[in-house]
Amino acid sequence: MREIYEGIIKSIELLLSLDGEIYRIILLSLYVSLTSTLISALIAIPVGIVMGIKKFPFKQGMIRVLYTFMGLPPVIVGLVVYLFIRRSGPLGNLELIFTSAAMIIAQTLLVTPIITGLVYNGTKEGGEKIKNLAKTLGANKTQTMILLIKELRISIFAAMVSGYGRAVSEVGAVMIVGGNIRHHTRVMTTTIAMNHSMGQTDMAIAIGIVLLILSFIVNSLLYRFQQGE
Amino acid sequence: MDIQIKNLTKTYNNRKILAIDGFHIPSKSFLGIIGPNGAGKSTLVKIIAGLDTPSTGCILYNHEGLNQRINRNMTMVFQKPYLLRTTVYNNIAYPLKLRNINKEEIHTRVQKIIGEMGIAGLQHQKAWTLSGGEGQKVALARALIFNPSLLILDEATANIDPSSIYAMEDAIKCYYENNHATIIMVTHNIKQAKRLCNTVAFMNGGVIEESGTSDEVIYNPTKEATKTFIKEAFL
Amino acid sequence: MFSRKKAKSLLFIMLSTLLILSLAIGCTNPNDEKNEFNENPDNKEIAVENKDLILSTTTSTENSGLLDYILPVFQEETGIEVKVVAVGTGQALKMGEDGEADVLLVHAKASEEEFVANGHGVERYDVMYNDFILIGPKEDPLKVKEAAGKNITEAMKLIFENNGTFVSRGDDSGTHKKELSLWRELGIEPEGDNYISAGQGMGAVIQMTDEMKGYTLTDRATYLSMMEEIEAVIVVEGDERLFNQYGIIAVDPSKNDKINNEAANLLIEWILSEKGQKLIGEFGKDKYGQSLFIPNAK
Repeated sequence: MREIYEGIIKSIELLLSLDGEIYRIILLSLYVSLTSTLISALIAIPVGIVMGIKKFPFKQGMIRVLYTFMGLPPVIVGLVVYLFIRRSGPLGNLELIFTSAAMIIAQTLLVTPIITGLVYNGTKEGGEKIKNLAKTLGANKTQTMILLIKELRISIFAAMVSGYGRAVSEVGAVMIVGGNIRHHTRVMTTTIAMNHSMGQTDMAIAIGIVLLILSFIVNSLLYRFQQGE
Repeated sequence: MDIQIKNLTKTYNNRKILAIDGFHIPSKSFLGIIGPNGAGKSTLVKIIAGLDTPSTGCILYNHEGLNQRINRNMTMVFQKPYLLRTTVYNNIAYPLKLRNINKEEIHTRVQKIIGEMGIAGLQHQKAWTLSGGEGQKVALARALIFNPSLLILDEATANIDPSSIYAMEDAIKCYYENNHATIIMVTHNIKQAKRLCNTVAFMNGGVIEESGTSDEVIYNPTKEATKTFIKEAFL
Repeated sequence: MFSRKKAKSLLFIMLSTLLILSLAIGCTNPNDEKNEFNENPDNKEIAVENKDLILSTTTSTENSGLLDYILPVFQEETGIEVKVVAVGTGQALKMGEDGEADVLLVHAKASEEEFVANGHGVERYDVMYNDFILIGPKEDPLKVKEAAGKNITEAMKLIFENNGTFVSRGDDSGTHKKELSLWRELGIEPEGDNYISAGQGMGAVIQMTDEMKGYTLTDRATYLSMMEEIEAVIVVEGDERLFNQYGIIAVDPSKNDKINNEAANLLIEWILSEKGQKLIGEFGKDKYGQSLFIPNAK
């Protein structure tokens, strides 16, 4: 318990000290996770909506695969991405290993199935009605898609927040492909893991608290957004 | 709009739920479709509205197959309409926005129709705060605002309060008389069919058993099934 | 109260600010730093094209803070940015073998020599050493300190035979390898309920040891950095077998064309130079009153 108490004190101290390093770690975390969430969303929202309103062969099988991928362990994703982008891997020429781009790739792969699955679930509920309405009012395909996104915005937004939460809190993938390099690829979760292995519990707790506060802010905004409806 | 139905069948889970050899809905007719539950009424109008595809056969709209131009010229109001998650005004304006009509004209047309339907006071309300009758009126206003030449109503006045039913019937009648549109109305309410429609078709077991003017079908039915249905409905 | 519109625009503003801010920090900073050094006229002109160097090392080396102390000086002088990837010793050597790192700084002499003999590395140089210590509960219930003195194997034998708790790293790290070699020397196969194979980093293992009132083998640096927070004390130190030699090896550049051999050689040259060695010797003196690493390049 002493550690948790000291961690809280230390986290306040850290944040007030305006220490460049901790802010850089926090911002890199946000940058990597937000970017991968946004890239994932661009892929996952249309795919999830189409899966929710269209009938096509092997749909049930695809959905089962999608649900499985929603629970992919980050270390597995990290390992696979690592094998592809390492210097001797097939994509070694792109020189992505141990960069923030590598972390974004890994998290995008991790988060895309999650957002797709959640958007699919949301669309399955009300998508058919919205599609029919759009059609009876004379919307073309693009206009129908825009209307679906607009009308399903709450579940889409919730899906993105879940995806972001997964990205910002995972450590396995970014540790492997990013390498936890100071000033380059050190993010909040890898810092926590490293500090724990160094036995510096208070620092780990301090960053853990920052992570929680950020989650709280994001979720509070989501809550306001939903309450407004 | 002139509607020609040819050899239409619909099979669902190996069960034939619709089989209409041929049926003609001439332009400017106001057709009521009546019949017991499970008769295939909703499936038929959904196929006409392009929301479902027939297993065989086809429908011609003004002697053409379904295309975007035809699609933009017809609409359907459901028993439980979906209202967009925005204001009443935006709901009614939406079909016009889809057609790239400028803001001033949208405003004029929305104000006109909500005035006619007596829902002007609701225009700034969010759609999800409306009662059933109010929501249904908004859905009807949204359907009529772009002057479709084919209007399909699928039990659009079921389960709402009587005063809303009459307001909607007036609006539909008024629209029919002023725009010479074709209207297809699925209803379980025979009195309503008598009040509004000039032709009536009776459906049972996926086929159109008989059709004719309202008076013919309602007062002098020839088929046993029709007689039984109408007798029960008037009880 | 918040209105929905307000909440929405606030959310939008916050997210976009964060994104822009983090884009700025996440992307531009490393380059800015490099440019700063490149433009600095006081800098010695270094004829190395590729200024990115990947150094693969062990977690304990990085956790000691030594690299954060000496590498900025190297970067200032050469403009070469050393990216430190800290993994287990086994993984560090594997990264060299696969050509994923440019230079290795590890402490498992036998494995390192084998690495060079197999043609994966160019040459191995001694850099420095630190030492391992055996720590245990203050009360020392097994009287290990009294009985074993400086003799590490004697101490371990005592713990094992008296069913004392021994926490092992169990993660194939250099420290773990060292511990295993000592058991081998004793002819003991460590197992049983009192032998805890943790599979974790040094700091975590020290904490576990402290909680369980057991014994563990640790490097001095990690112990010193945690000394104030734990109750465990040094039980055995100073045995020659506990010295931990660090070596530096440039990875064979013929493995793939991305290996930055030029910069690797510069780093090796610098770390073995008088200046590099002096810096290593100074590290830790101000904080603990003693050097954590003893430079011994030949």
